[in-house]
Amino acid sequence: MSYDMKIDLGVEIPEVLQSGPVTAELLGEKVRLSLRVKSADRTVVAKALGLTLPAKIGVASTKADLMTACLGPDEWIVIGETDKHAGLYEKAHKLSTKYVMSVTDVSYRNIGVVLTGQAAAEMVNVGCPLDLCLEAFPVGKCTRTVYEASPILLHRTGEDSFVMECWRSFAPYMIGLMAAHARGGFRSN
Amino acid sequence: MGEFRRAGRGLINKDNPVHFSFDCKTYQGYEGDTIASALLANGVHLMGRSFKYHRPRGPVGSGFEEPNALVTVTRGKGRMTSNLRATTMEIYSGMEASSQNRWPSLGFDAGAFNNTFSMFFPAGFYNKTFMWPKSFWDKVYEPFIRNMAGLGPAPTEVDADVYGSVYGHCDVLIVGSGPAGLAAAIAAAKKDQSVILVDENAELGGSLNSSPSVVIDGKPASEWRHKTLKALSKASNVTLMARTTAVGYYHDDFVGLSERLTDHLPILEGNQIREKLHRIRAGKVILAQGAIERPLVFDGNDKPGVMLASAAQDYLNVYGVAVGKEAVVFTSHDSAYTAAFELADANIRIAAIVDARIYIPTSLITMASDRGIDVHVGKVLSGTSGKKRVSSAEIYDPTSGAKETIKCDSVLMCGGWTPSLHLWSHSKGSIKWDAETGVYLPDVANENCVSIGASNGDFGFKAALDAGSKIGGGRKTYTVEEPIFGTGEVFSSLPSYKKSSKQKAFVDFQNDVTEKDIKLAVREGFRSIEHVKRYTTNGMATDQGKTSNLNALEIASKALGKEAPQVGLTTFRPPYTPTTFGAFCGYKMDDLFEVTRKTPIDAWAEQQRAVFEPVGVWRRAWYFPKAGEDMHTAVARECKATRDSLGMFDASTLGKIEVVGPDAAKFMNKMYTNPWGSLKVGAARYGLMCREDGYIYDDGVVGRIAEDRFHVTTTTGGAPRVYRHMEDYLQTEFPELDVWLTSTTEHWAVIALNGPNARKLIEPFVEGIDLSPEAFPHMNVREGKIFGLPTRLFRVSFSGELGFEVNVPAQYGKAVWEALYEAGQQYDITPYGTETMHVLRAEKGFIIVGQDTDGTVTPQDAGMSWIVSKKKKDFVGKRSLARPDLTADGRKHLIGLLTEDSNVVLEEGAHIVADPNQPIPMDMLGHVTSSYWSESLGTSVAMALVKDGFKRMDETLYIPMGGGIVHKAKVVKPVFYDPKGERLNVV
Repeated sequence: MSYDMKIDLGVEIPEVLQSGPVTAELLGEKVRLSLRVKSADRTVVAKALGLTLPAKIGVASTKADLMTACLGPDEWIVIGETDKHAGLYEKAHKLSTKYVMSVTDVSYRNIGVVLTGQAAAEMVNVGCPLDLCLEAFPVGKCTRTVYEASPILLHRTGEDSFVMECWRSFAPYMIGLMAAHARGGFRSN
Repeated sequence: MGEFRRAGRGLINKDNPVHFSFDCKTYQGYEGDTIASALLANGVHLMGRSFKYHRPRGPVGSGFEEPNALVTVTRGKGRMTSNLRATTMEIYSGMEASSQNRWPSLGFDAGAFNNTFSMFFPAGFYNKTFMWPKSFWDKVYEPFIRNMAGLGPAPTEVDADVYGSVYGHCDVLIVGSGPAGLAAAIAAAKKDQSVILVDENAELGGSLNSSPSVVIDGKPASEWRHKTLKALSKASNVTLMARTTAVGYYHDDFVGLSERLTDHLPILEGNQIREKLHRIRAGKVILAQGAIERPLVFDGNDKPGVMLASAAQDYLNVYGVAVGKEAVVFTSHDSAYTAAFELADANIRIAAIVDARIYIPTSLITMASDRGIDVHVGKVLSGTSGKKRVSSAEIYDPTSGAKETIKCDSVLMCGGWTPSLHLWSHSKGSIKWDAETGVYLPDVANENCVSIGASNGDFGFKAALDAGSKIGGGRKTYTVEEPIFGTGEVFSSLPSYKKSSKQKAFVDFQNDVTEKDIKLAVREGFRSIEHVKRYTTNGMATDQGKTSNLNALEIASKALGKEAPQVGLTTFRPPYTPTTFGAFCGYKMDDLFEVTRKTPIDAWAEQQRAVFEPVGVWRRAWYFPKAGEDMHTAVARECKATRDSLGMFDASTLGKIEVVGPDAAKFMNKMYTNPWGSLKVGAARYGLMCREDGYIYDDGVVGRIAEDRFHVTTTTGGAPRVYRHMEDYLQTEFPELDVWLTSTTEHWAVIALNGPNARKLIEPFVEGIDLSPEAFPHMNVREGKIFGLPTRLFRVSFSGELGFEVNVPAQYGKAVWEALYEAGQQYDITPYGTETMHVLRAEKGFIIVGQDTDGTVTPQDAGMSWIVSKKKKDFVGKRSLARPDLTADGRKHLIGLLTEDSNVVLEEGAHIVADPNQPIPMDMLGHVTSSYWSESLGTSVAMALVKDGFKRMDETLYIPMGGGIVHKAKVVKPVFYDPKGERLNVV
């Protein structure tokens, strides 16, 4: 469900990040829900919503175009295509009368950037202090962390691909740091 | 090739001559040379003037420990760096280097008169002398001292270079690429560990580069090094980093590596990163930093040409440079003999070896006599002569008293070796004193860190290689042929026939601290080396005493008659070597220096040439000046337009927290002073939040979206701390509540519409919400659509006018704003900024938390007792509000002030008194918190915190402004405009 008004992400990917050992791409409009469920109700709520809600913190599950990740003991983020999942909020909202849970629409809070290429991990490490070797940060891991001064959500979608999401107003800073690093040159080159 | 170059030696590329200038004179060196090695190859030893006495100085060392040869290198506009060590700066074609701390020239320095009168400048001289008159300090003494004593000039231009930074991880980080480091790297690499090996020098290899006589596993050291480096560079799990200094060792094996990428290259076009800071979290850290040779402290030990024996060895073996034609070697350690023999074998005449010790291995004496070198056993150097270069040395026999002068152009000294403990100490590893060798050694590690080789006191190639292999996880033992490293004796003071006061025996070359300064400090009562250091400044220069700390300690402990460990050791602190600010900043410069958060509507405001102000980390439109308007006129116009017709304001920065769950109302009741259970779905209420101590923490309007859902707004700056405060209480105090908090600040863009025409503007665009005053009264919230977009529409007012706050999805905020702006033209819609917002709210007496409150104001003090529930059993701050001191008389209350002269706008922060004629210090009653010109009222209005303010209604108070100006103002209730609130209900 898109709207007639003009969407404005407020940020663009600079040229230096459009080619090279890592490229960045902005995620378009998405549905993003913050889902909080008491652990006892996790499986029933997941079933009722037709979602996978991983039990382990830091684990993401991607089913078709819908990503769900467990971020805390009772916290999941759900990210999916706007057009396909517009009704998900209402569905979860209705469910909250039955189970002890909450759903909050945060669709427009974040800006997502997809990083792809052999230097993707290096680009994440420009601002994120986590160890990104595959043993420590396997494909499918998703966690809240930082990119220098910006809080981010980091999701590894492949050996050489990540999705980084930050709050809207932090995006120019996050992308600016990436561009500065790309201009300066990569380690692997 | 010049007379000081030696063919067949060194790692320099003799096929590539490089021309550079030093003090405007052009010299030739080779690719791979440092400024120091190239100048020495040209017979130049004089490279700088000393810090305090302006004495001529040449290089003492050959690497990063160098205290003397500091130079300035200019690479074009904004690229001037001073205090670079000539011994580590690699030359490139076209390099412009210059000496420092001299005027008019290095050869003739007027400041050298300090040297002539040096007996008047002992340690503590400045502290003692420039005490009176006090007023002279700022204007006369300090500028003069700063000018006279000093290092290179500070840059005045903006740094034109760019810098970078990145995080990294590895299983093993090895610092130092000498034999110990390389052996450790090879062993760890074979164990499939990820390895980072760093070395501060341009060439990896450490002492392997300077030891032609060493044979490892049947291969010359240089060949073994070459083979090993080749293997390591091929291994995919090994990262080799030259020109990279481990500058600091922090908690949990976190090490900062500063990599220099361009300083050694000819001046380049473009944006290459000059230095990159690698922030490495290592599984394990192996410190193989080696040891630094210790100078001997004797009269005249600072003349150009006097240097460490190992430095002369390095210049010969790494750069193929002879430091002179005839050298005197002065030592108290066996290792200097190897240096002497290598130099002699390279056709540098060794005029004498003077050894302060009585007992010397006979093998060394034999080897010396084989080369025709005289060894003076049990003798010392008691002086040197020569002005800008040493020309002779005086040998003194303390037993017989005999003196002998011997001609030389260089003196090579060796007082033993000091293991490098710097990073070990950063990591808070403990150290132990080794009395035999007179050094501190690593003892118990505090991190997952191990020190090996010479930095652990294990000298010699075999010891280093075997330790490296073992620590790296290997079992290999190496077969090594090497000259005996041997032992030495530590002399805290060398015998001399000269009086101590007549000697210039330097301990700290960079800060010009002499032996007698240290003794003076002890005489004047300093007992700890930490105090001796601060009094004499020993070890406080940019080299952090790499060559001087241990000598100073020996001298001080002997003077005190105590063992060295009882006197202590000064603390090593990061950075290990001077590091540029650029490296610490990395990418965080200019726009990236800090986050500047901008709203979705910011771009529109920028187009309209709004003036912005920072609010926390947000930037917000402050006011929207039209051509020719200053702030005062713009704000006056914006206020008037809003009150008369319609104003629009970007309120997107307001913090928003969605409080959801079956216990949401219960939680709200605990967090806010006022009640929430009774708030109907669809209604909104102003909420006030206190801290545990009863002081106002934040405020904002809260709408009840559903039984179990509140849309909470906070102040712009308060959003993160309110969220944290709520989450903290929820998790620690009220974990039984089923409620969750989600920040939605950035999900919504918020457009505040204020003025009598606000409803008329939105009416045509809103669907699903009955906007009539009866259906949608003041302080309500509805969900519906605007321009087809989902909206949470609040009817709320921070201006006193009819007001709506339109919440729409953030990424449509700008489009909605633009549509409303266009549609509002018929009402002369006026965008306004934070200043007008402040004026409008002050006219109504609405507080701004953080401006009218300062963390010591209770709701009662702010005149807001009405919002504190008396029925609720508990809320955060309730107990504190009942404390006697929070209810006692004499507290400051928030009141209104009207100035006698209505044109006077009081200064915010100005102090308020009851009697301006009282002698100073007057009794302060309080201060002005908010003050504005009110265009609507035609008078200035102000709010103030005043002692017992509520009891002072109609009293006249005074605001003295200095210069005899005293403003008079009357205390009033802080509601200036429309006190009955009728304008909210305009239809």
